[in-house]
Amino acid sequence: MKVKIYSILCIAVALTFLLGFSHSNKYPSSSIIKGDKHPDVDWTVSCTDCHMDVTPEIVKSWNESRHGAVNFGCYICHGDGEEVFYSKGTDQRCSGCHAGQEVNFEKTKLNSCFDCHDGHSLKFHI
Amino acid sequence: MSISRRNFLKASALTAAAAVIGVEPLTNSKVLAAAIQEGVVWHKTVCRLCGVGCGVMLGVKDGKPFGIKGDKENTINKGILCVKGFYLHRMMTAKNRLLHPLVRKDGKLVKASWDEAMNIVTSKFKDIIQKDGPDALAFYGSGQGQTEETYLANRLFKGYIGTNNVEGNPRLCMASAVGGYISSFGADEPIGTYQDIEHCNLFLIIGSNTAEAHPVVFDRLVQRKKDSPSCKIIFIDPRKTPTNRIVDLHLQVKPGYDLAIMHAIARQLIKDGYTDEQFIKDSVNFSNGKDPITYDDYKAFLEKYTPEYAAEQAGIQPGDIIKAARMFGESPTAMSMWCMGVNQRVSGVFLNNLIHNLHLLTGKLGKPGCDSFSLTGQPNACGGVREGGALSHLLPGHRVVANEQHRKVIAEIWKTSPDKIQPKPGKHTVAMFEAATKGEIKGMYILCTNPAQSLPNLNKYLPGMKDTFLVVAESFHPTETSKIADVVLPVSFWGEKEGVYGCTERRSQHLAKAVNPSGESRWDGEVLVDLAKRLGYSKGFEHFKSPEDIWNEYLKTTAGTDMDLSGATYDRLKKVRGLVWPVPTTDHPGTWHRFTSGDPYFPKDKAGNRRMYFYVKPDGKAVIFARPDKGPEEPVSAEYPVALTTGRILEQWHTMTMTGQIPELNRAAPVPYVEINPEDAKSWGIKNRDKVKVTTKRGSLVIEAKVIDRTRKGTVMIPWHWPESLTNILTIDAVDPGSFEPEYKVAACKVEKA
Repeated sequence: MKVKIYSILCIAVALTFLLGFSHSNKYPSSSIIKGDKHPDVDWTVSCTDCHMDVTPEIVKSWNESRHGAVNFGCYICHGDGEEVFYSKGTDQRCSGCHAGQEVNFEKTKLNSCFDCHDGHSLKFHI
Repeated sequence: MSISRRNFLKASALTAAAAVIGVEPLTNSKVLAAAIQEGVVWHKTVCRLCGVGCGVMLGVKDGKPFGIKGDKENTINKGILCVKGFYLHRMMTAKNRLLHPLVRKDGKLVKASWDEAMNIVTSKFKDIIQKDGPDALAFYGSGQGQTEETYLANRLFKGYIGTNNVEGNPRLCMASAVGGYISSFGADEPIGTYQDIEHCNLFLIIGSNTAEAHPVVFDRLVQRKKDSPSCKIIFIDPRKTPTNRIVDLHLQVKPGYDLAIMHAIARQLIKDGYTDEQFIKDSVNFSNGKDPITYDDYKAFLEKYTPEYAAEQAGIQPGDIIKAARMFGESPTAMSMWCMGVNQRVSGVFLNNLIHNLHLLTGKLGKPGCDSFSLTGQPNACGGVREGGALSHLLPGHRVVANEQHRKVIAEIWKTSPDKIQPKPGKHTVAMFEAATKGEIKGMYILCTNPAQSLPNLNKYLPGMKDTFLVVAESFHPTETSKIADVVLPVSFWGEKEGVYGCTERRSQHLAKAVNPSGESRWDGEVLVDLAKRLGYSKGFEHFKSPEDIWNEYLKTTAGTDMDLSGATYDRLKKVRGLVWPVPTTDHPGTWHRFTSGDPYFPKDKAGNRRMYFYVKPDGKAVIFARPDKGPEEPVSAEYPVALTTGRILEQWHTMTMTGQIPELNRAAPVPYVEINPEDAKSWGIKNRDKVKVTTKRGSLVIEAKVIDRTRKGTVMIPWHWPESLTNILTIDAVDPGSFEPEYKVAACKVEKA
């Protein structure tokens, strides 16, 4: 049984790296490291147009947020989906725009902007 | 100014770096973060895209673009960036960067050396000048070129080659605003600044989708509403747009029929007693556009513009006009903002005047929270082209070619003969390209713009452009224009060269050179000096060794004028986040409100007790215009029953040369589309995503339908960004008779299922 589990784990790790390096020329990104992949969809439809049907609650939550108010779309945190995708939005990009709200995480017990700000509503929840 | 952040371990830098190299959140790995942070140098610069003027920090590591973030010390954006500016560093290394010169041989563009390309340009230009005279040549520039580049081109063509055929794409977007400011107040550009936003409780937004076209200004409006719950926004526009999210009253007008509304609001302000009679007495004249008239004449003129009349013209409710007037009148402060929906009209200048009228009537001008504030589309349309005088009738420092004294002053600074600068204005943009179709203009130098996509009524002008000897100085290839060029010169992009941009609020800001030019690309200034020397004008140009040399000469043209930049030296600009002119000395802080006591040129002796003195007008008074309303050049008809308007989306900019290289931005709107009102779609039998054919008198476009409740019934809108679907095949090339700006915003079309 243990051998079986280890084998599955090894294959999973190998697949993860394989998927990652297959894209590494363009975007050696977190999506690669985590092996994230967006389902193959009709790429001529925009994120929000599709997700209004697929994940309406998330779109609603985003739409009511400050990002939604200024129409800053899914791609900011999740990538374009096709060439680069982060299923769990990373906070790598936050301060690209929010340089005025810098946080020195070393001085906190936090690791991410999203530790305090909910991912889609962006509401401050601590 | 370069800011080394070697020891700066805050999350901002880490995350920006991560965005470039694309690893897991560096905040999880502090050792890695510290290692990566080593050697990153952040350069203070300004966004390359719209005219807002956001401060940007460009991170460089090992000589390559490394990351980007908003400049939190910049007063305009305070660290915020929009989605387009967010990807600027990736545009620097985009796949479509042009890295070597191209020349056309046997009908194809092939790689060439700089010397070969410049020899071809020189020989052909000399040949044209000799055979057909200097007016057979033209320069077509851009509100994106740096001031130094535009200044050099203007100097070369007007002052040495001897043609006033010097134009730029601001003619297509801001010329009506220029005409409005000059005719109403006597001088171009706004009286106030962005600083007025935080003091204002009533915004009138007309013909501007601020949320998408100027997102950082929109964000400031969002914040203002949050900070001041009594703050209201009136919106006059044919479409519901993302801007509507913060709007309190929307007058959803028929495209091209909003002039009567502005008169009706003015009429209502007078009737309800909201005018500032002392201000009118002190600082306002009245005119019918030809002759002076009295205040009473103006009131009589307005009588026609009842709310009912204006509402019928515009297809809205009369009560909304009264409501808008009362909101404007009751608020102690008011700020108007507008953009292409006002300017790109055959009545663009008039409509600008009518906006100014409201502020002059109520005295809501020249004090905190009050301004008639034109939004600008390009990062240096104000700085390089309007202030630099790079349109066919202008000279630097708010001067005109028709004025002998102006020509004399500029010729002396340019070290050329006053006779070399022609007194007659050259051809405006549409006339210039029309002359190319007729073979009257035989050679054209195009810098940093893409007219083969951005001109209106493209089918009319493309053949002429193909026949003209076309030199295109560009950072990217192919564009619709570079594809048909005879010579394409690879020029440095943003971040690869130093210079100055002047944004919407009269603020001049320095852009740092952060990395070396890509491939064989060269700085435009260097290319223009090289061309000048090859054409035989070495003595007039050989002393320019750097952008600062050019800037220093340019400053001389502004000295003593209403747009005095003498105090904005490179040394100072490198340290501060821009300076707002007039700034006459190096210890002057810049000017918030022009024509008031805070303006260094305010003539206290002449002004007496007047709060505002428009010193560029002979008697110090601005003008309220009583000009009749006018509809669009091409109203809807039985054959073309639908109004077509064009516009922009948040994620793309202009012809997509830059933003189209970013997959994330393309994802937001992956295919070209036409917005159709759901009721129209139903009656036309069109479903969302159907292919439809949109036809005007000038051409047809097959495009995807986006059925959405945005345009009013009977109106469709097409964003003009996509090169594979040229919206401007459909647009009309009729121009405003004062500003010569085309009416991109209104045409008549028919829509059918393809």
